[in-house]
Amino acid sequence: MRYIKLPSENFEKFFKSLEAWGTVYAPVKKGSIYSFQEVHSPSEIALDYNRTMLPPKKFFFRPKEAILRLKNGRWEEEVEAEPMVLFGLHSCDIHGLKILDKVYLDEPADPYYKSRREKTLIIGISCMPDEYCFCKSLGTHFAMDGFDLFLHELPDGWLVRIGSVRGHEIAWENGELFEEVTDEDLANFKEFEEKRSKAFQKELPQEGLADMLDLAYNSPVWKKYAEICLACGNCNMVCPTCRCYEVCDRWVDAYKAVRERRYDSCFMENHGLVAGGHNFRPTRLDRFRHRYYCKSYFDPSAGYNCVGCGRCDEFCPAKIEHVKVLEEVRGSLK
Amino acid sequence: MSENPYQTYDARILEVKDLTSREKLFTLRFLDPEVGEKFEFRPGQFVIVDIRGFGEFPISICSSPTRRGYLQLCIRKAGRMTKFIHKMKEGDIIGIRGPYGNGFPMEEMEGSNLILVAGGLGMAPLRSVLWYAIDSGKYEHIWLLYGTKAYEDILFRDEIIHLLKHGEAMNCSVKLAYEVESPSCIYLERGFSDRVCRGVVTDLFRGEEFDVNKAYALICGPPVMYKFVIRELLDRKLSPGRIYMTLERRMRCGIGKCGHCIVGTSTSIKYVCKDGPVFTYWDALSTRGLI
Repeated sequence: MRYIKLPSENFEKFFKSLEAWGTVYAPVKKGSIYSFQEVHSPSEIALDYNRTMLPPKKFFFRPKEAILRLKNGRWEEEVEAEPMVLFGLHSCDIHGLKILDKVYLDEPADPYYKSRREKTLIIGISCMPDEYCFCKSLGTHFAMDGFDLFLHELPDGWLVRIGSVRGHEIAWENGELFEEVTDEDLANFKEFEEKRSKAFQKELPQEGLADMLDLAYNSPVWKKYAEICLACGNCNMVCPTCRCYEVCDRWVDAYKAVRERRYDSCFMENHGLVAGGHNFRPTRLDRFRHRYYCKSYFDPSAGYNCVGCGRCDEFCPAKIEHVKVLEEVRGSLK
Repeated sequence: MSENPYQTYDARILEVKDLTSREKLFTLRFLDPEVGEKFEFRPGQFVIVDIRGFGEFPISICSSPTRRGYLQLCIRKAGRMTKFIHKMKEGDIIGIRGPYGNGFPMEEMEGSNLILVAGGLGMAPLRSVLWYAIDSGKYEHIWLLYGTKAYEDILFRDEIIHLLKHGEAMNCSVKLAYEVESPSCIYLERGFSDRVCRGVVTDLFRGEEFDVNKAYALICGPPVMYKFVIRELLDRKLSPGRIYMTLERRMRCGIGKCGHCIVGTSTSIKYVCKDGPVFTYWDALSTRGLI
């Protein structure tokens, strides 16, 4: 890793230089929530945001998109991708993208996702946890790869970690904006990280978690929460790693049709339905439990399917807390 | 071939045949001979059928790879899409992508006995295995235990009756169980009293001696069937690793992206479309919800 410093006074010029790489999207405050929007000036960016409602997955795997277009009886593909710069991603969201990569870039790769991913620059930014964050327990509170540049806040600027060749290129082309990192900067960086580490209020103990949950398959806790759950699917929509989709053909006019896909939710009754009417997850309990198991699955090469961003808690209308459910289920084994 | 895995290839419907009142057999051939040539599959794999402008659905291949030049799909009229394809005629064009899934490990099973256990529509994927095994002649003996609702519901009835009559010459013993009595069934039962009976598919195990050391079981049927059939096989000391079953889920993409076919819990998650649809009983023991 290469480390450089971006002094505060150069931030605006640095931001302007990013526009040469593509349309810049960054967290913007809209009402009481944050969302990734196109920005043209650093003043528009909410640098101290906690989390956006929709995670950055929306740029690569769209809420609704046409994958094929039917013209004269033949499917035509449109694998268009505009160059983009995603500015200000938190570590958990970078980990979220890495989990999506495992799915969408696995052979055969999804060409739409792949093309957008390849044309996008990822710039991370440091953050302070709020009451919903539990990324530290999952090891996703720090990104060691998956970004081009990562900006860590310093009292007088940013300590920048360069995570890719493209990251090097940005630093190279704008050499005059950056400085060498001093001992004082390192001390500040260390102090920030320590302060941050202590700021986490929520913890999800990992020891034997996957097995404990599996053993508690028939726990009454699942039932208790399934009854509280509204099965609205909000948690799926806002989750940075949920990526189920449904496909449907739609006629545009008498001659043209599109094959569209859109976000799907495992809380919807037809998620496990097969032809002939058999449903593999017929009850809300089945579907509730399924989501928690899917999120808690541990892949030895990629970790959990959950990055602890806290969106599912913050945007749950029934106020169900992810960590609390898992803790209670695990506790019910005693 | 296209790099876009969602693109489908034109295939012409060569023949449409009524199998029952609900199921039709579609015989297809790719329009582009090069695509047809490259299209290789194993018994137990499936394809995604694309009716342009109306949607896609997964369906298992029911013809054998030993019979080249065409592809057969047995499609039950069960929903909007399948209702649509049932109206299609010879000469119509549909799209096909695939093949997908792992299929049955036919090479590993060479030289062994095969016990095919089919329930209802489960006969479709197993027909591919059946004719592959018979055509290749690489298997010691093949049993087909087939449970069906009524005489009218017997899929590939001509082939089943042909095998009841002449199967032994091809090292193949067919046994049939039906649930609803009818004159045709009684006629069949009279003709093949040792192989046709009224009951369910597990009744066909009665009195049958399988050499389990040299046998593999391949199962496909409605979800409720698996547990009972597996119990019969385990009672006969067949190793769980030699019990293969092929499963159904709501597959949209076929390539492990759309998430509909995910099964399992925090310790083991499987995609039926790419880790399966063929699984062993060991898989079922380690992945909750598989059967």
